[in-house]
Amino acid sequence: MKQVIKGNHAVSHGVRLCRVKVISAYPITPQTTIVEELSEMCASGELDAEFIKVESEHSAMAACVGSSSAGVRSFTATSSHGLLLMHEVLHWAAGARLPIVLANVNRAVGPGWNIGADQTDSVSQRDTGWIQFYCESNQEVLDSVIMAYKLAETIMLPVMLSYDAFFLSHTSEIVDVPDIEAVCDFLPPYQPKLKLDFSDPRMFGGITSSEYYYEGRYVMHRDGLQALEYYPQVCRDFEAVFGRAYDLLEAYRTDDAEVIMVTAGTLTSVSRIAVDHLRQRGKKVGLMKIRMFRPVPVHGWAQILGQAPKVVVVDRNLTASVGGVFAAEVQAALYPLECRPVVFPVIAGLGGRDVTPADIEGVLDYALGHEKPKDVPLFWGLKQ
Amino acid sequence: MQKTFNIPRELMTETELLQPGMLSCQGCAAAVAMKLALKGLGERTVVVFPACCWSIIVGVYPYSALKVPVLHVPFETGAVAAAGVRAGFNARQEKDVVVMAWAGDGGTFDIGLQALSGAAERNDDIVYVCYDNEAYMNTGIQRSSATPVGAWTTTTPAGAVKQEPKKDMEKIMQGHDIPYIATGTVAYPDDLVRKFQKARNIRGTRFIHLLAPCPPGWRIEPGHSIRVARMATQAKVFPLYEIENGEVMVTVVPEREIPVKAYLEAQGRFRQMPEAMVDALQKQTDRKWEDLLKQVKNSGT
Amino acid sequence: MALKRRSELAQTVPFNTWRDYPPMNTSVGTMLHNKTGSWRYIKPIYEDKVPACQNACPAGNDIEGWIKFLQRGDYEGAYRHLKREEPFPAILGRVCFKFCESACNRLTLDHSVSIKELERFVGDQVTPSKPHPDLPADHGKTMAVVGSGPAGMSAAYFGRLLGFKVALFEKLPEMGGILRVGIPGYRLPRNVVEAEFEGLHTMGVELFPGIAVGHDISLSELADTYDYVFLASGVHESMRLGLAGEDACPRVMSGLNMLRMVARGRDVDLGRRVVVIGGGNTAIDAARTAVRMGLDATILYRRSESEMPAHPEEIQEGREEGVHFRFLAAPERIDLNDDSTIRKLVCCEMELGPPDASGRKRPVKKPGALFDVETDSILTAIGELPVFDYLSDMVAVQDRVVAVDDALQARSEGHGKAKIFAGGDIVNIPHTVVHAVASGKRAAVAMDCDRIGRSFGDALKEITIGQGPAISFSAYMGWKPVNPVRQNLHVVVDSEKIVYDYFRKAPPVDKKTQPGHLRKTSFEAYSRSFKNREAQEEAARCMHCGRCTECDNCLILCPDISVLVKGGGRFGYAFDYDYCKGCGVCFTECPRHAITMIDEETPLEEEV
Repeated sequence: MKQVIKGNHAVSHGVRLCRVKVISAYPITPQTTIVEELSEMCASGELDAEFIKVESEHSAMAACVGSSSAGVRSFTATSSHGLLLMHEVLHWAAGARLPIVLANVNRAVGPGWNIGADQTDSVSQRDTGWIQFYCESNQEVLDSVIMAYKLAETIMLPVMLSYDAFFLSHTSEIVDVPDIEAVCDFLPPYQPKLKLDFSDPRMFGGITSSEYYYEGRYVMHRDGLQALEYYPQVCRDFEAVFGRAYDLLEAYRTDDAEVIMVTAGTLTSVSRIAVDHLRQRGKKVGLMKIRMFRPVPVHGWAQILGQAPKVVVVDRNLTASVGGVFAAEVQAALYPLECRPVVFPVIAGLGGRDVTPADIEGVLDYALGHEKPKDVPLFWGLKQ
Repeated sequence: MQKTFNIPRELMTETELLQPGMLSCQGCAAAVAMKLALKGLGERTVVVFPACCWSIIVGVYPYSALKVPVLHVPFETGAVAAAGVRAGFNARQEKDVVVMAWAGDGGTFDIGLQALSGAAERNDDIVYVCYDNEAYMNTGIQRSSATPVGAWTTTTPAGAVKQEPKKDMEKIMQGHDIPYIATGTVAYPDDLVRKFQKARNIRGTRFIHLLAPCPPGWRIEPGHSIRVARMATQAKVFPLYEIENGEVMVTVVPEREIPVKAYLEAQGRFRQMPEAMVDALQKQTDRKWEDLLKQVKNSGT
Repeated sequence: MALKRRSELAQTVPFNTWRDYPPMNTSVGTMLHNKTGSWRYIKPIYEDKVPACQNACPAGNDIEGWIKFLQRGDYEGAYRHLKREEPFPAILGRVCFKFCESACNRLTLDHSVSIKELERFVGDQVTPSKPHPDLPADHGKTMAVVGSGPAGMSAAYFGRLLGFKVALFEKLPEMGGILRVGIPGYRLPRNVVEAEFEGLHTMGVELFPGIAVGHDISLSELADTYDYVFLASGVHESMRLGLAGEDACPRVMSGLNMLRMVARGRDVDLGRRVVVIGGGNTAIDAARTAVRMGLDATILYRRSESEMPAHPEEIQEGREEGVHFRFLAAPERIDLNDDSTIRKLVCCEMELGPPDASGRKRPVKKPGALFDVETDSILTAIGELPVFDYLSDMVAVQDRVVAVDDALQARSEGHGKAKIFAGGDIVNIPHTVVHAVASGKRAAVAMDCDRIGRSFGDALKEITIGQGPAISFSAYMGWKPVNPVRQNLHVVVDSEKIVYDYFRKAPPVDKKTQPGHLRKTSFEAYSRSFKNREAQEEAARCMHCGRCTECDNCLILCPDISVLVKGGGRFGYAFDYDYCKGCGVCFTECPRHAITMIDEETPLEEEV
């Protein structure tokens, strides 16, 4: 049923529909309303789950490790510093092969304290072994929660979905909230193959020598790559039930593009408008939306981006002294190609600074007008 | 014939949930403690280990010395991961399961204190056990806030032995209003087993603090770990009591009392302790004992 | 039947390729394949040792063993076990010096176990004349015993258990030696002594009362008739004071004489007041007997109370019964009246000078410190002497004792076929009943070694208890100990080795004795035996030093689950050496030192 809801509420709906059993979360702006809404749902009985009101995000993820190890569908949400604080346990959850789903509101990292949209928090977790998705709309956010559990419980790896602070979390959009029966069919209860259990008592996560550790990690790597195969299947199944499709990536007007822009999150929505404007003026530009970031759909990216002579990657994140993470990953994906496009890495929108269609048009014009980038990366909108 | 401890033999010989082949040092009191704790809790127990000696003792992948389900978790998270496991079993409608977090003093007094405090404040339904060998033994005998004053460790070496007194975890836990707090040692195994049997039947956060002498870390002979634990109680350095819903009760009156000095002299780690510090510790021990007796007097009917 | 080895249950799972890994990091088996026993350099064994009491007992009484039977309520079993080492519990339980109690490790905790009272209790449970279960077939060798005191009785008893035909000769019409005519009836009733002789008779010892060797039959005849002779004629002559007037007065006699006459029912005229000179048990016995005869008795001793050889309990009981004591006084001369009655005994005050050969301070007369004592009679009890006329120089005598070697064998070459041994008060051992009993046992074993051609010295290496000289008859006979575990007869468990923290204080059972003023009115035994409940209560105080009691400490405290209960009705535990790390916790926490740590390399014979 269609409702007008904020991004955070979309998450809580998703959690409800997935009949999560254990939630543990610590409030941090701008994730707080997720926590509040879930508390109300648990209190009213609308959601039959135990909500552990942990005292930090590190503990939030640890509680999920505990409950997921007990074979129970578990969820947490956080943002920015909360996600950073969880870092150790994110590694643990992935290494433990636990199908935990985490909703992360992309928010900037301090100091100074900044609560605006910024992807530095989630991209800096890219080495943890988690599957990562970036969402463009509240509808996508809700649908991603459901698809995340489906994927996670198939490949036994945790899934993180990220969406922009305030632009989605606190902005209302029209969202078609599915019926719970339909979701129950699509996503049956979690049946783990291995869990803490007295009929088969085992030890999970013990000390592992170099004799064994290596292969364990290899298996994790292999299974993570499986996401590239399973996810499209999940996607098709989801589309069949709910009528909405979210591929590994989306290519928009890229066929004959001279410049393809690469974005993730709400920047994508902005970029669509800019691409349309420029196309109207006869400029051959296109857009590739990053949806799955981990694992990297290397083949897909190379296929789309390899067609164009130029690629602009707009990163709403920054690794100081290096540049944007998406740009680096795109370049790595393009490296094997015989004929590589010129990549224009651009940084924009850090700390919630607004990026308008005019900004994107400016970036595209800049790429169209230059053979190769002058500054790498280009800090768009920097006060000089 | 004449049994020293009031533990029925059947309890010791029936299903052994802990099997040998484990990697504990010779004379490890923490190994005895786990054996006895499981006797008290029974086989429907899940054990959660944050990083500590027991992370190693229990065995290397892919083998386990325990016949109950075991979950290893990061260092800081013992209490909250156990709370998560508990929530998981609640969701599975398996309410008779006991979830036990088994942490060292590092994972309790220091890096794990926040998670423990959080779990206690929420009164999470777990048994939290701190087996206290009074230093970060697993990483090679570095000081913790559980290290007693005057002790040598690798980070409080000779000439700079520990200056700060041992943190009082029982007082900290008392600040959380949980239903059960207890101290125990391997020197009084029947008292220890009884406390675990009692804890099993209480709902809410149960905190049990066990003194577990460590032969390499305390510089004692491997065979002396139990004896030194007994001396700790005899010297009133580690009195054995329990606090049930605020009511304080001393559970073991030792067969004899010894001065703190005798307890210290039995261990090599106190060899560099200055005389004045020994006297101060005796005074502090006496004072804390008096406080405990006052608490006993003031609580209950 | 060996216990199933847990290490046999161990399995290892090889992960050859990444495909073998389970999907999560989980265990697939136990740690039993990791045999941590390889870490050891020392290992524990269950080994029973000698408790301090048994070590202190001259006869090597296995006290802990019969106390175990007692605690199980098996009184006959306790009796039989006791008699394996010490044949006369009803007697020793009444008169022994109780060296065991002075050594009892329980002293460090509160008070020693009242072993003597427990032995008396056990001795009173069974009549000695019940047939002895351990009698072997005779081998035809014969033994003659001269003297039916404790030494002779003991040699006869052990001789029978070794298969000798034994003939026991006693000069007096009554059997028992010092037990019968030296120790008064209120301490050792006549019927108790007689019952033991019934027992010896039932065992097949031929009793010959009223036959004086050297008079009715010569020693050389015995030596021709028997294969072995055991001399145990005791010391029944008193040392003389050497004072003027000593022989002239009939009311000056030896304490031993007085006791003998009273024991045999003769009248003794000592007037109203008697002075007993001496500090040993004879003096006390004489004084206390005098008190029961209605006399006023004073003991005069030249040293101080703490140097008295008599047992402190005897001294105390005598004092309670009204015996007076005068210390640091020695008789100077006896002044007689014309009718040879005693006018007065002139004494001299003494003071203690430097130590003499016995290690005690030598008493020295105080110059000019004479004083008078008025008395009607004087009993001398300053020492006993043997009478060796009957020996006819057949054996060597030296310093008023028969010269014997370590095997108690006397030198008697060229005098008849028999090998001659000697024991009791006529050889150089302390003059106590239990030492006499021990000597009888030792001589009997030495005779048996001689009979079978075994070196007694070699045998001693196996059967000596602790540092000796007591020997274990059970070890000599190969009889199994109470606990079916390895035994070490050489290691003694003293108080250093007991973990007192594991024992609760408990006062000894107070078996109330009659007060002194009532006791002195009768020659009847004045103290009763323990009742059953009292015996159990007192026996429960025994800490069983050095002997496993299945207390479960090792089982409870082993950090490596390597102590296994043998089960199936078998006693005790077994170590699982596959995993035992040799930490020594069991050794340290065994309350009674019944575990030994040995070098890993030490070879061990098969477990029992």
